[in-house]
Amino acid sequence: MLPRPSVSDVVVLDRTELARGVILLGFHAPELVDVTRPGQFVMAIPPGGERAATALAIYEAQGERASLLFFVCGARTRELAELRPGDKLSLTGPLGNGFDLGAAANVAVVAGGVGIASVLLPAQQLTQRGSRVRLFYGARNVEFLVDRDRFANAGCELCCATDDGTLGHHGFITELLAQAEDKPDLILACGPSPMLRATAFVAAELGVRAQLALEETFACGVGGCWGCVVPLDRKSSQAPKFPKSAGDFVNARVCKEGPVFWAHELRW
Amino acid sequence: MSGMDLSVKIGKLELPYPTLMASGCYGSGEEFEAFADLSKIGAVVLKSVTREPRLGNPMPRLVPTPAGLLNAIGLQNPGIDWYLEHEVAKFAQRPCAVIGSVAAFSVDDYAYVTQRLAARDEIAAIELNISCPNVGSEGETFACDPALTGKVVRAVRAVTGKTLIVKLSPNVTDIAAIAAEAESAGADALAVINTLRGMSIDVHAWKPRLGNLTGGLSGPAIRPVAVLAVYEAARAVSIPIVGQGGIETASDALEFFLAGASAIAIGTANFTDPRIPEKIVNELGAYLEARGLRSLRDIVGKANVGFGTPFQYEGDVG
Ligand SMILES: Cc1cc2nc3c(=O)[nH]c(=O)nc-3n(C[C@H](O)[C@H](O)[C@H](O)COP(=O)(O)O)c2cc1C
Ligand code: FES
Repeated sequence: MLPRPSVSDVVVLDRTELARGVILLGFHAPELVDVTRPGQFVMAIPPGGERAATALAIYEAQGERASLLFFVCGARTRELAELRPGDKLSLTGPLGNGFDLGAAANVAVVAGGVGIASVLLPAQQLTQRGSRVRLFYGARNVEFLVDRDRFANAGCELCCATDDGTLGHHGFITELLAQAEDKPDLILACGPSPMLRATAFVAAELGVRAQLALEETFACGVGGCWGCVVPLDRKSSQAPKFPKSAGDFVNARVCKEGPVFWAHELRW
Repeated sequence: MSGMDLSVKIGKLELPYPTLMASGCYGSGEEFEAFADLSKIGAVVLKSVTREPRLGNPMPRLVPTPAGLLNAIGLQNPGIDWYLEHEVAKFAQRPCAVIGSVAAFSVDDYAYVTQRLAARDEIAAIELNISCPNVGSEGETFACDPALTGKVVRAVRAVTGKTLIVKLSPNVTDIAAIAAEAESAGADALAVINTLRGMSIDVHAWKPRLGNLTGGLSGPAIRPVAVLAVYEAARAVSIPIVGQGGIETASDALEFFLAGASAIAIGTANFTDPRIPEKIVNELGAYLEARGLRSLRDIVGKANVGFGTPFQYEGDVG
């Protein structure tokens, strides 16, 4: 049986602004750390109420501390960015199904912008067990390629791309992935949906299986409202059970059946 | 607050707490079991089920709005056959009552789905969703016309003896007339209100944000509209009302009781914090205790009486 998620009150330990509007928020949450698997997320309960909770990937989870890395992009994240060490925060989680790392020995991890928040834990777990990890990391400009050192220190090889050419390849990160030598045996990706679609395309061309962590607007985050669906091949092991007569795809909940799906099983 | 009586009776249904989890917002309860103590809520109202399977609306289905949420799920569900065969048996495990919700596009289908669902022991009562704004104009037709409301409620009443809650739409000019019609057609209770129709437009893309273009607005933004609808409906009927629309706190809930609701439903607030239903129950108990009241029934519909100081008009009588 999977460890049960829960609602917990946690205390903020540290807050760092990694770039303009990019916040790293560390907090004391030993129970959460114990049960978190790479690729899972939490719903951060808004301190002021009146809004749906915010889904955020669990960035770090080690010892007694976990953290969230997010871009301030609306009222909800602005409110979370106001938190300071010592403040209390309530979280529901960990939620969703994480990455399936299998026995992959040579993994390409693709991250676009804030998508970086979902891939530190799988990258760490992979390098720790001796797998080769190349991080393909793209962002608007060098300033937003945040926290690269942490990945380098974890033993990842970095390949970067920026929209304006301020660091690495001038263009899309998926162009670098397509040119990569020494074909990976697994691709993991998280980022904006155009990047994920491009990753799925490149993965198919390379003949490599890819897992995509989708970003979607959630309301409940726990599978209760069916507001966050993506069409999935009904033969997928993640597909919700649904009558055959409805067709060859099923709308799966990104928050419950996902957020990580096999690229070749998505019918988007 | 231990001795406080928060129990309610809705038709034949007796519940230890006055808090229902609103349809479509709480799955079948299972999804929230790790985060909320289901033995401390009155009942879960299930996601609406239809005769045929429905894949639901295209994405996006959710748009957060100021103090609210626009949704257009489109009644995604596996259809009644599959539902009865694969899902209903699990509901017996819930530590609270489970209320089935039925949606349809014709009087016959409402009666057909209700009859089959209500026949199951796991289902304590039926809520008739005649007010879904997210499945084209047909979805709301029934709740927007007193004659059709009467027709569908009579047809459904004829096929089940279980408690029948009829869920009304706020998107009408005279909710009291519809409420009265539902009562005389045999409804045991009313759920007031379903979501308000709304739209949000992306000014960069020049198109509506929801895949379905229009949606239903819920959350604190609609609370005053809901309180008024309950107030008006309560004055038109004598059956119990399950008030809902933007309830987040015990104080919000009290507005509904005072307006005339016998019970409340909590939907969107569960997306803010799944601990809200239990908190509301605890605070309602404390409220009654602080005022020396024994039962919630003592305050239902008392909004025009006032508490403590009876209302006195002191101005000139013109
Ligand atoms: C995501 C979502 C899905 C809903 N689905 C249904 C449904 O299937 N059937 C129904 O009768 N009402 C449905 N509703 C309406 C709610 O049950 C409730 O009446 C309404 O949201 C007002 O309450 P609230 O503001 O507390 O959410 C839905 C509401 C939301 C937000
Ligand atoms: S956000 Fe409610 S089901 Fe995914």
